Amino acid sequence: MIQDVRQRVRETLLGRDTADGSALAVGASGAFLVATIAVFLAAPVFALPTVGAFCFVTALGWVRFKPEMARFLTLVATLLTVLTVAFITIFLFASALPAIREHGLGLLLIPIQDGDVRWFFWLDTVLPTGEIYWNPSSGAYSLIPMIWATAVVTVIAGAVAGPLGLFGALFIAEVASDGLREIIKPGVEVLAGIPSIVYGFLGFQVLNGFIQTSFLDDGASFLIAGLVVGVMALPTVVSVGEDALSSVPDSMGDGSIAMGATRWQTMQSISIPAAFSGISAGIILGLGRAIGETMAVAAIMAAGTQFADPLFDIFDANVTLTSLIATQYGSASESTLTVLFVAGIMLFVIVAGMSIISLFIERRMKAKLRGQA
Amino acid sequence: MSEAYVTDDSLVTADSSGYDRALDGTIALGIVGFVLGLVTLIDLVSLSSSGAALAETLATLLVVVAGGVGTVALSSWANVTPVDSQRIRGVTAGVLLALLGLTLAAYAVPVTLATLLGGLLLVEAMVIATAGVVSNIGLVDTEPNATAGLLAGFAFGAFGLLLGAVLGGTVLGSGGFLWAIVALIAGIGLFALAIVPREDLGSTLPAAVVVGALGATIATATIGVGWQWNPDAISGGFTGGAVIPVFLLFGTLIAAWSAAKCRAGFGARGRQYGAFLVINLNAVLMVSIMAAIVVFVTIKGVGYSVRGSTIGALAGLVLLSPLVVLAVRTARTPAGSEEWRGGARQLFRLLPLAVVGSVTALLVSVLVTGEKLEYGYTYTVLENRESVVLDTSVAITPETTVGSLVLVLPTLLLFVYFFRQYGSLRDVGTELDRVEAVRRRLPLAIAAIAVLTGALAILGASPAGLPLGPVAGVVVVGAGSVAAVGLAALPLAGLLAGDEALPERAVDRARLFTLSVFGGLSLLAAVLVLQGPATVAPAVFGRGIVPLAALLGALVSATTATILVTATRAADETITRRLLGEELSLALAATAGYLALLGSHVALTKQNFSLGVSVANAGSLSVPMAMQPYIPLGAEPGGIFPAIVGTVWLVIGATTFAVPLGVGAAVFLTEYAEQGRLTEVVEVATNALWSTPSIVFGLFGATFLIPRIGGDESLLAGMLVLGFMLLPLVLITSREAIKAVPDEYRDASAALGVSQWETIRSVVLPASMPGVITGVILGVGRIAGETAPLILVLGSTLNSTSAVEVLNGFRFTTAPPFIANEALLSASASLPTQVWAVIAAGVSGSPSMGWATAFILLAVVLTFYAVGITARTYFRKKLNYE
Repeated sequence: MIQDVRQRVRETLLGRDTADGSALAVGASGAFLVATIAVFLAAPVFALPTVGAFCFVTALGWVRFKPEMARFLTLVATLLTVLTVAFITIFLFASALPAIREHGLGLLLIPIQDGDVRWFFWLDTVLPTGEIYWNPSSGAYSLIPMIWATAVVTVIAGAVAGPLGLFGALFIAEVASDGLREIIKPGVEVLAGIPSIVYGFLGFQVLNGFIQTSFLDDGASFLIAGLVVGVMALPTVVSVGEDALSSVPDSMGDGSIAMGATRWQTMQSISIPAAFSGISAGIILGLGRAIGETMAVAAIMAAGTQFADPLFDIFDANVTLTSLIATQYGSASESTLTVLFVAGIMLFVIVAGMSIISLFIERRMKAKLRGQA
Repeated sequence: MSEAYVTDDSLVTADSSGYDRALDGTIALGIVGFVLGLVTLIDLVSLSSSGAALAETLATLLVVVAGGVGTVALSSWANVTPVDSQRIRGVTAGVLLALLGLTLAAYAVPVTLATLLGGLLLVEAMVIATAGVVSNIGLVDTEPNATAGLLAGFAFGAFGLLLGAVLGGTVLGSGGFLWAIVALIAGIGLFALAIVPREDLGSTLPAAVVVGALGATIATATIGVGWQWNPDAISGGFTGGAVIPVFLLFGTLIAAWSAAKCRAGFGARGRQYGAFLVINLNAVLMVSIMAAIVVFVTIKGVGYSVRGSTIGALAGLVLLSPLVVLAVRTARTPAGSEEWRGGARQLFRLLPLAVVGSVTALLVSVLVTGEKLEYGYTYTVLENRESVVLDTSVAITPETTVGSLVLVLPTLLLFVYFFRQYGSLRDVGTELDRVEAVRRRLPLAIAAIAVLTGALAILGASPAGLPLGPVAGVVVVGAGSVAAVGLAALPLAGLLAGDEALPERAVDRARLFTLSVFGGLSLLAAVLVLQGPATVAPAVFGRGIVPLAALLGALVSATTATILVTATRAADETITRRLLGEELSLALAATAGYLALLGSHVALTKQNFSLGVSVANAGSLSVPMAMQPYIPLGAEPGGIFPAIVGTVWLVIGATTFAVPLGVGAAVFLTEYAEQGRLTEVVEVATNALWSTPSIVFGLFGATFLIPRIGGDESLLAGMLVLGFMLLPLVLITSREAIKAVPDEYRDASAALGVSQWETIRSVVLPASMPGVITGVILGVGRIAGETAPLILVLGSTLNSTSAVEVLNGFRFTTAPPFIANEALLSASASLPTQVWAVIAAGVSGSPSMGWATAFILLAVVLTFYAVGITARTYFRKKLNYE
């Protein structure tokens, strides 16, 4: 049993056929790497010298055992990637733990207004309620308004990015000629490349003025933030959806055409159903982008931690989970900071979860299509 | 996909009847209305304009469209780009007619644009209703289905509910439940109207009702331009200025869809035409959103960004030189067939050359006449929270000074380019004994100089009090420079002396070329480097020997190149021409190389060089916005140099951190690991890392990195955080690129007995390099604009007045961690955080400064994207043709 495990570890680290003595070199290098990480965690001042030692030992090993060291170093790179995710999770939770311990469900406190508990999907039966819901000096930290703001912005963004993205994906995958596709596809990519702060600046300078004259609002609003974030999420939906539609085997579509169906009928009854899960994966990813989007939202509606009133008033404004962190972090006190980390964890878990779900959906769809092709 | 689509096309090219033309016109009217809806929504044209002003606006639009359509029509008529499709012809003609009609109506009837557009919707409603009825009673040949379908039914039902609620609420008042009843009746009515009758009625009548209702509301000014509805319950409200365009967009889209269905005769084909129309309109909308954002930011920011820029004409010429080479290369690519298409292609390939030529002529004219070329305009700055308008200009000055960096960068680029163009001149020409002797001894001489340089660098210029450096330095540098000029002149001498015809002579002297270029350049480079440790810079006539030699070398090489061009013209054998081409590449590479050495000399010794023209460290190119820090309380506001430097360092740091890790992990996952639990975990982890919101990376940096490095917000923390964000991007794209390397490559290598690591190093990695580099460029474009994490870890402020100095910041210390760099551990500015700072500063943030910064940021990021996408397209094409 132990023999088995040792054998497998050895194989992962060194590969199958190894030169004599390479285990020692790789082992020494590995030991220094572990030491480096440990030192960086515990006594960061000494991290740099330890890194130097690691480099020296690795260089020595490299001269003598290139193949084994190369394998080992690429393995290290892989493990460090996984380690990054682990560290993000661990450190976010560690930083947020004091707030969760201290406030518990108080972080999801539903506000009371004029003596009545605000209606919030009948959740007041499980969640605590209170008069003051956000006041750092009195220790009231309810994230409910921000969660709601995030939800509203995401729904508006989804309403923009979903249909437009679906049609855009259809256009690129099925309708456009090859030449046109060569232009539109990079165009969509460029749209994804425009920095979010530029979108934010546009929204801040131009759209907020527009909504004042056209919608009699006082400036910042969920509507504008949602529209802008929707445009930002659009490229994700388009490219993932297009990918899904293109992965439907040509033979399936050709079969339909051979039966005398038009292209639109083929799309409707072959391509879209076959790629449906892929397209929904794209929409999930796009929504994830929208939830995690920070700068555009922070620039458009930076102020306010009040609860939208009424709940569905899209002309109201409030910080979202992301913009709460961005705008409050600089001036936050110690206890507020830990609450911001709670917001960070919520974002991390939700968005990374959505992305992993869409990864599995996509993979299942492709496996299925490959089976049928 | 399939041949079956041919029938589709033949149907489209069939002749059209009056019924068809009317419907084409309706589609066109819908498109015009849709565009006008967009235009009025963003207030480019006011909805309340009327009479002559409105007519003029519409007439301008008409002229523009007529120009475009006219050109296409003309080329179609001349059979250059034949347009067969009757539908496209009909719709374009319809667009012209629709615009003409609107323009005339605006002249004839004194109504506002809003009323006019309401009328447009009413006309649309009438036509589609008529078309549906005409089809239903069998006057035209159509193939409708039994019903329009449940989907259309539900859609119209929803429209009906919405329309009923809005109209009922606004017209009848929102009190009571009256509006709800109206909404319900409208919804159910439209649903029934859509699904009960045959398709030709089912998809036209409800559309006509919806469009007609919207049109009537606008035309009768029930909802007019000044209309407002401001419910107490919500913090916003609705105005006619916003509602009318939205109604218009909505109405025209439905009308165009319905008309398109009619036009294609309902049934399967009708549905296809309708759906494709909507899909195409959507694509146009997406592209216009993108273009609008880029153009808008450019318009807003470009003036402030280039204010006060000047460039010397000579510096301009130097910067232009790579473009000249690029244009020549484009012009030289074969244009294909001899047909008119080949001719047109040729024209487009020559166009860049012509443009570059004109710019060159302009710059030369500035140099010759000594007249400054200037364009003046104004820009706005914020002073004490008030806008102040300042005069400024951009100018091309007749200065003959070239900055050292401006000289080195393009010439180095050209050197590398020409050197890569050069293939081989091995075994060409006759060997001369003396030349061979020099060729053998030259490497020894250069090695000796290198050893001397090394020794002086380690021991100091005067080891043990002996003035070795100064004395030996002057001798070696002087002799080396003279020898380099001699080497550079060798080919020229070879070309000029002798009695064969010029081309043959040039081929015969080929060995002189290789010796001259490689020997001369490396010798001069060696003595250039020697000057530093030897602390000498020998000079004659008040000018350094080395730069003089470099200039001479460049001149001689340029002369050689010119003669070679004449020789090529005189050569008639292909092989001779090819060999002369190789020699020309070498001569041009030498010219560029010597000029680069000249520039490097100025940059390294900090001594300006001037001989007619000057090469100086403070050159004649000046862009205050990009090259100056912020100047508080100055007459001019200065620029954002610190932010640009900060972003450059962030990108460099993130790349050095993430690229080795990402590529390494990609190699492990594709080459070493077997599909299993480990790869599964890594894939999920990469995916999570890729999708993690950027602000969360900021939090992670703040809690994990900052306490461990320096304890405060710092440039290094910013680099690492951006590196974490870049890591998954690099990993995913590299993995794709390595996967794309065909297994045959690996098998072939393994069959030769090459070990796995050697195969990866010398086969797999080189083959996947283009894909990896493209991925890195695109990833860098992404993180360069990232703001959220930097707010938390970089600690930048608005309008920084000094840039970080990373290179000069390294210090060795006795306490751990033994190497310190203050600059890396201090806060820095960066482009994206600068834009955020303008927003966060509220009223004291200067909008014009913000726009300019946003524009520069956008330009930087889009340049990365453009380079990345172009490289990918190029490599993909190359891979496909191979």
